[in-house]
Amino acid sequence: MPDLSIGLNCPACGGAVSVQEGEGVLNCQYCDSTLFIEGDKGVQTIAFKMKVTKESAIAAAQGWWKKGFKARDLKRTGKIIEVYPIYIPFWSTTARVAGWVCGYEERRHSDSKGNTRVERIPKEVMVLSDYRYSEIACDPGDLGIRTLRNFSGERSFADFEMIPTFETTTSKDVAAKDARSKAEEWGREQANVPHVTFERLYVVPHNMSIIYYPIWVVRYSYRERMYMNTVDGVTGTVLSGRAPGDPLFQSLAITFGSAAGGIVSGAGLLLAAFSEADQNGAYFAVGGFVIGGLLLFGTYRFFRRGSEIVEGEFSDKEGSAKTGLGDIKQISQTLSQIGGRYP
Amino acid sequence: MASTSCPKCNARVEFEVGTKFTKCSYCSSQIFIDRSGAGFFYIIPFSVQEKDAVGLFRRWAAGPTKAKDLDKRAQLSGIKRQYFPVYQFKRDVDGKEEIRIEPAGSTTLPGLHSLKVPAGDLKIFESGYGTEGVELVKPDIEMSSYLNEMPGRPKEQALVYFPIWKVDYILDQKRYEVVVDASSGEVFAGTYPGRGSAAYVAVAGVGYVAFLAETLVTAINPVLAIILMGITLAGVFGASLFVAWRM
Repeated sequence: MPDLSIGLNCPACGGAVSVQEGEGVLNCQYCDSTLFIEGDKGVQTIAFKMKVTKESAIAAAQGWWKKGFKARDLKRTGKIIEVYPIYIPFWSTTARVAGWVCGYEERRHSDSKGNTRVERIPKEVMVLSDYRYSEIACDPGDLGIRTLRNFSGERSFADFEMIPTFETTTSKDVAAKDARSKAEEWGREQANVPHVTFERLYVVPHNMSIIYYPIWVVRYSYRERMYMNTVDGVTGTVLSGRAPGDPLFQSLAITFGSAAGGIVSGAGLLLAAFSEADQNGAYFAVGGFVIGGLLLFGTYRFFRRGSEIVEGEFSDKEGSAKTGLGDIKQISQTLSQIGGRYP
Repeated sequence: MASTSCPKCNARVEFEVGTKFTKCSYCSSQIFIDRSGAGFFYIIPFSVQEKDAVGLFRRWAAGPTKAKDLDKRAQLSGIKRQYFPVYQFKRDVDGKEEIRIEPAGSTTLPGLHSLKVPAGDLKIFESGYGTEGVELVKPDIEMSSYLNEMPGRPKEQALVYFPIWKVDYILDQKRYEVVVDASSGEVFAGTYPGRGSAAYVAVAGVGYVAFLAETLVTAINPVLAIILMGITLAGVFGASLFVAWRM
């Protein structure tokens, strides 16, 4: 194959230079010329050493089985089928976000006569902080991992030959762009200004690097079905997992939810009916239905979806039990907005 | 492991899939691997065996959106392993790296339309690589037909074979199929027998309305209300347990 390999010579003295991947500037080891690398510089790569043994990975997974609303007999009948380590690549960088966000916050005050007054508080917030970005550099498949939670560990390529290494299949520049927009968004959130009238944010990204992170994949069976866990190879904590649920917990959830929901809504109505003839009664009724409805909805999600417990960053998680909580948050925000406007 | 020759001393230099910079082991010259002019064949090894593929299918089939007890009622009618090909192009577009995935083989299998290179340990596929009799799906679309339409300058082009298990099953005389990604264990399905939410909604709705009504009754007759609530509690618990078990 011609032209596949290209020798790297110092343009000044012709000596062979030693370039590490990801380097931008270096000095020729013979003539000391300062050289700037053009073209495909590659990316600086870091690998963390696998610190967790197979036994502790299994122990971590089995400990996870016992937690939460998973099948009660999982710890007895769950059987470890295979446990193997992998290296997963992550794009990683830090970006400094600096700038100003200006705007205002609105506060409602109501006096005893029921008159409301809106106060505007001007806000001017400086943003100056570092954002840590990470994103998996290959297709996440069914591992349930997308971002890194731990950035420290012993750096070593010693295990690299022994452990299967997932290849980077996404683009560095796409990751860089993503890092930029996420950093900006994060900076805006940090400022915490509800109504923005003016903002200027600058993102200064540092060099993108690849972190190869060691993960244990634990596959286990339960009633002939195959489930999985991933365990962080540096910290030993469970990163993600799928587990069978339990109908008893599903049933208890909806029994509690419908009872609490119904009683709260009913109590709201009663309070409304028995309160004096001022406007506050309506708040009780609306509030009761909102809280009661949320209780019902949240527990219903678990009732319907709780036959499989999913933890981690899975692509099919939108429809799973745990997101119920996020939905409730969103709905409660919407409802409280509606409730707030209620006379 | 693929190899090339050192531009300085002509010795054999081996390199891996992701290698960009390497050192000649004889003359210690630093070498840059330029893939822009060549086409590579990569392959991802099977890390899911047949028994595990069936287990993964059953786990998927037991999920909350699938027909109740699909994992037990589905009759497996066939299981087959294959290597499926896609093209991966790395381009330099205005100084930015862009990666494009294009189909290399036409297929009707579920999941393989959402083009991607699945997570896996890419190996260089050369004559010495043992596929152990697994069928390689022939790429019926030429790489060159894509190359002319690609933006920017080439950095690398490769044909990637990834491992799949194709599982066929029958439920109530109807045939279905799923594809299990044999590297990460992801399950892809087109159509599958689903599960309705009606019974779940009914239990939750009836329970909620009953409790609401009984709370209102407390205003008239608290004792009666509490008795009714007790009955409803037992009823909802029993009904929901039955639904979660059987529906």
